[in-house]
Amino acid sequence: MKKAIAVVLLLAMHAMAVDLSGKWSGSFKADGADHDVPQLFIFKQVGNKLTGSGGPDQSEQYPIEDGQIDGDRVKFAITTGEWRFTYSLRAIDANLTGDLELKSVDNRRTAKVNLRRAQ
Amino acid sequence: MVILGVTGSIMEFEPELDRLLHPELSYITPEGRALSLSEIGDAASRRFSGEPVVAYLPSLSPNLSSQVVLPSGIAFVNQHTGEVLGMRTRGPTFLGYMRELHVRLAGGSFGRKIMKLSGIAMFLSVASGLYLWWPIKQVRVRGKWGTRRLWFDLHNAVGIVSVLPLAILAATGTVIGFEDQLGPLIYKLTRSSPIHVTRSVPPEPAPGAIAMTPDEAVAIARAHMPGAIPYRVQMPKYGGLYVIALLNPTERIAGDENVVALDPYDGHVVSLSRSSELSRGDRILAANEAIHTGSILGMPSRIVVWLASTMVVVQAWSGLFMWRSGNRAKLAASRPVETRRGVS
Repeated sequence: MKKAIAVVLLLAMHAMAVDLSGKWSGSFKADGADHDVPQLFIFKQVGNKLTGSGGPDQSEQYPIEDGQIDGDRVKFAITTGEWRFTYSLRAIDANLTGDLELKSVDNRRTAKVNLRRAQ
Repeated sequence: MVILGVTGSIMEFEPELDRLLHPELSYITPEGRALSLSEIGDAASRRFSGEPVVAYLPSLSPNLSSQVVLPSGIAFVNQHTGEVLGMRTRGPTFLGYMRELHVRLAGGSFGRKIMKLSGIAMFLSVASGLYLWWPIKQVRVRGKWGTRRLWFDLHNAVGIVSVLPLAILAATGTVIGFEDQLGPLIYKLTRSSPIHVTRSVPPEPAPGAIAMTPDEAVAIARAHMPGAIPYRVQMPKYGGLYVIALLNPTERIAGDENVVALDPYDGHVVSLSRSSELSRGDRILAANEAIHTGSILGMPSRIVVWLASTMVVVQAWSGLFMWRSGNRAKLAASRPVETRRGVS
């Protein structure tokens, strides 16, 4: 009986997990870069799938690709042209923080990202 | 500084080297008319599981293939036949690594700082070399092979021939490295400000509206930039607008900084920036970069930059041999006479 209650509680907690849908903003600075790059994402979460768009600002948005949510882990990618950005983030409190891998046809760079829910 | 020289000389002919490393993807035989962008994109998309087209990189020469950017990589297409030549996936390459070494010593923020300071070090090294050369004014190479004199003569001769291009490369490279600090000063001195292109959010399309084709978008962009050649077409799904970058072959400075952004449904121009309308500060920074990369006068200046970059290696090599020979001579002079004669 106790086990059943624990399972139900866990499932309920999972169902109550934060919905990422909405606007998230922040920035990243690639390792060795001189500038911060602004970020704005408009997420749509359905179950463990993440869709929507992202880019530097509202006027330049690229579709979210391969968006997956697994517990507090969030993975997705955007292709802005020659560069593909692959995000591996964790939802911690009201933030999404983690790593970004940037790959072009001849280069690979990394960055730390921090996003906060935008008002 | 040797790393700056070696990587700089490789980067000078990076597009040509990249094509040589991928000849099967790059070179084609011109035949008949070129296909439209839509036809080229459809061919690439069909070949790679219906992937959407992110952007087109149209060919700038009849014997070079066109490129189609897809989420999984860059597809190369013969624009005359529609044959898909292959794909390059994203990831580091030798040439990309050379660029990383040149810019940030492939070592993140710390490497970036070192390379920025290396530009200043190179400038000081060139200035001190000129100061040392001036009293002797040695230009001819007379020393015999393997002697210190040869390396001394070579160091002087190569040094004086390459002093001006090396000083310019070091100075322009330092300006690029410290652009965040020097840029505001340049704008202040020229009483100008950087041009910022602002683009409004594209409106929601009317129900049933059909987006124009990339070829139609390019035709509108070309009408606004007569004589310019499109070299990049970003699709509206990726960014919200058609963004067409054009090359003005008559502009030596920032000739590739012509950009037209279009609403994909009604075709009206959302933003337009021309290289000829850059602010004075922007133009100085663009000219600095064009001098550093050698693009300012086309192939002749690229060859000069390549030669000067290579000379850095020759100077380091000859300097090292001079130093070694000098140390040996000092060592020999410091030994007792008997030892020098081989008597122990």
